Amino acid sequence: MLLNNLSPIALLSFIVVFASTAVNAEPVADQPAPVFSGAAADGSTVNLADLRGKTVVLEWTNADCPFVKKHYESGNIPRLQKSAAAQGIVWLQVISSAPGKQGYVDGATAKKLNSERGAAPANTVFDPDGKIGKLYAATNTPQFFIVNPEGVLVYKGGIDSIPSADQEDIAKAENYVSAALADLAAGKKVAKASTKPYGCSVKYTG
Amino acid sequence: MKAEHRIDQPDIDYLGVFMFATRSFLISFGALAFVLLSCLKAYADSSEAATEQVKAQLIASADAVHPGDEIQVGVHQLIIPHWHTYWINPGDSGLATTIKYDLPEHVTVSGIQWPTPVRITLGQVTSYGYEHEVTLLSTLHVPENAGVGGVIPIKATVNWLVCEEACIPQKVELSLQLPVIPAGTSAGPGSPLIAGARAALPATSPWPVSVEHGSDGLLMRITGAGLQSANIKDIWFYPAEWGKIAHSAAQTWRLDGDKLELKLQPGEAPPANGEELAGVLAVTGNGSGGPVTRGFIVNAVVGPAAAANPPAQEPGLAVSTALLLALLGGVILNLMPCVFPVLSIKALSLIKQAHQAPLQTRLHGLAYTVGILASFALLGGFLIVLKASGMHIGWGFQFQSPLFVLAVAYLIFAVGLSLSGVFSIGGSVAGIGSSLAGRSGYAGSFFTGVLATVVATPCTAPFMGAALGFALTQSPLVLMAVFLSLGLGLALPYLLLSLWPSLQRRLPKPGIWMERLKQGLAFPMYAAAVWLVWVLAQQSGINAVVIALGGMVIIAFSAWLYEVTKTGSPAAQYTGAGFSILALALALISGYVGIQSAVTPSQPAVIQSSDKNWEPYSAARLKAVRAEGKPAFLNFTAAWCLSCLVNEKVALNQSSVIDAFKSTGTVYLKGDWTNQDDDITKILAEFGRSGVPLYVYYPAGAQAKPVVLPQILTSEMVAQAVNLKTAVGACGSRSC
Repeated sequence: MLLNNLSPIALLSFIVVFASTAVNAEPVADQPAPVFSGAAADGSTVNLADLRGKTVVLEWTNADCPFVKKHYESGNIPRLQKSAAAQGIVWLQVISSAPGKQGYVDGATAKKLNSERGAAPANTVFDPDGKIGKLYAATNTPQFFIVNPEGVLVYKGGIDSIPSADQEDIAKAENYVSAALADLAAGKKVAKASTKPYGCSVKYTG
Repeated sequence: MKAEHRIDQPDIDYLGVFMFATRSFLISFGALAFVLLSCLKAYADSSEAATEQVKAQLIASADAVHPGDEIQVGVHQLIIPHWHTYWINPGDSGLATTIKYDLPEHVTVSGIQWPTPVRITLGQVTSYGYEHEVTLLSTLHVPENAGVGGVIPIKATVNWLVCEEACIPQKVELSLQLPVIPAGTSAGPGSPLIAGARAALPATSPWPVSVEHGSDGLLMRITGAGLQSANIKDIWFYPAEWGKIAHSAAQTWRLDGDKLELKLQPGEAPPANGEELAGVLAVTGNGSGGPVTRGFIVNAVVGPAAAANPPAQEPGLAVSTALLLALLGGVILNLMPCVFPVLSIKALSLIKQAHQAPLQTRLHGLAYTVGILASFALLGGFLIVLKASGMHIGWGFQFQSPLFVLAVAYLIFAVGLSLSGVFSIGGSVAGIGSSLAGRSGYAGSFFTGVLATVVATPCTAPFMGAALGFALTQSPLVLMAVFLSLGLGLALPYLLLSLWPSLQRRLPKPGIWMERLKQGLAFPMYAAAVWLVWVLAQQSGINAVVIALGGMVIIAFSAWLYEVTKTGSPAAQYTGAGFSILALALALISGYVGIQSAVTPSQPAVIQSSDKNWEPYSAARLKAVRAEGKPAFLNFTAAWCLSCLVNEKVALNQSSVIDAFKSTGTVYLKGDWTNQDDDITKILAEFGRSGVPLYVYYPAGAQAKPVVLPQILTSEMVAQAVNLKTAVGACGSRSC
């Protein structure tokens, strides 16, 4: 009868109100990293699943962001990239800037920018529709995600401990990315697996 | 992009100085020295600096300082449209503004007191910051040994990140010199921006706030009596630290009585049990000039989830309990003295109808149920509308109207007369229930349901108080569900009877006993009418009793006249009916006029405060106070006005304000606009307002000009207004 319907309806409406928070499936450290594939600067398609067996660093970047400039102009990130390459780590830049937004570049420009800056990433992945960025809930440039050879996300966060646009702070700061890579090289668990990223917002579409 | 490389914009100013100086060099050496020095001094001494996006100014709450003073200094940022700077926790991206003060020895300065931020969402990224303008205040302490006659130079190096979509880090240097003056001399008013900056700071929460781990997230609970009636438009909790909660996740909230629950999604670094969750709770309510946002400082230790009672279950249980209670209450209502007779008539008519087709009987039962449900839905809808329009109501509100009570008393008395057989409507004198339109088909059954609801309402209050009280604090949907549940309960016995012929067969056979029973049932109706007249006497005084009883005599006379002329010639019928209607109209009109004039305006329910230092506002009282030459402070408030309640809690009820009122002899008048009040509406209009809050200060002296205070008050603001203006007012009366 009516009564039998009423109470579930009222209950249901409450549950709907309470559950209306959209739960983002954000990647969590120590959980499998979301897999993706995307067009890269060298014309190939990069597929994260194909990189199983190697440590992968994902670096969200935007060449015009002052915080990215801070770490490129000072040589901080290029240094990290070269040291990673030497250890057999795959370093991927990810550009989630939408067409027309700051930091959006084509493959040729990306390569030119990297050679001008002395940068040495393994490749640059383009994510103009923001799908990969949203998969990883990337909010900042620069922002880092490290995936171990088993495909597990072992680090997510910022580059270092002092949020500023000032190059002078780099020497004083604790570099979280190099610390995480050192922990991995030593076969240890990453001590600081989730840190606060800082920088410009990712220039997503819309 | 365009200007992102200009990291250190003041460098350009140096360049300008240099070029200007170089040109001066060509003119003369002496001029060079002079120009260079004065330019450098001008630069170093400037309290203002501007970039393309932000104009920054170093300000202070005084123009000079005394040794030992504590003043406020701060950096005011004027930001061009669409750009923003950041809060202490910038959210998903961005960088908080930093201020590095360079001060002489022993002069100390506190950290930044951050105003309540706003959230800026760009795509997937939510940042916390400021648009248009912001002032970042700090407290500066001047040492006791500061040399009088000297100056305190304040230099501030300010770093900020300003973003639209692109971000630009910028840096300026500002300086300000504050002369040190002897104690007792006026330090001046300082920057006019300070008052607004103080108002934008979050206040200590007047309500207790607790946080616990819920079944799927953090649950923040705010308990406060004012919340229930407050017209809340938006609530957002800004965590002071990164990662405590997900910055961009929706924060859903729900008001349950005087308890507000806010659901927060934990972030990257969620607080563990026993850890503190600090931040600012921004509550946006309706103000007279549009929505007003107010920040409250939250500092809560996170508690564990209540194990035995998962919070997500609680509201559901409460709702189903209320629904069940309402249903049971509805069934019990059938036995109430005011309802039982009506219902029995219906049951008796059922006995008469027993020979009819079962389908017809069922349809009658359904029509009756629909009548009751429609009436309850109407009542519920009325309550929802009243609630939505901001009225503060309780169940039984309709019985606050003496006219309604009188009308119900008349109706019940008329039903009683009909049961006694004094009159019957319709042709069949013998037809049981015909007086209640029992024969006029399904519409008759429907209206019997309506009638049952009307006569049941007086009885609902004592039995249904709990469930209806609960319903009133709930969402419109739940409120309606509880009301319909109550109606269903009321309709249930008759509905069951009509649906199951087997039950009908158990009813006794029709006979003369039915007529006797019907007549007997008239007496509970008369008793109910007596009770209502007693209620009316409480409301409107002893004269109302005379009016009500006189009206009943007239009704009885009309009923008798109608009945005796009904069987006569058509002329007699018309005369009788005409006289009856005339008499009835007389009863109703005299009742209306009599009661209306007997009603004394009820005392406005001014919000009670523990230490009553105010008087109710009236235009006459204000006039009298001003004629006495006393200063007056006017507060126009309403129980449903959130910012009004908050202003009272954080400013007007503060001891500093109470003391200021006392020491200056200010008469504090409070006008309650919770209910429509023409006197208050008039004075609001005089100040160009159409609603509350309105705060007006009348300095001493009948001619003094009133000062309107802002809609967001701080205790300092009120105390300052009262103290300052009294001084000026006193000066004015001495004509200096």
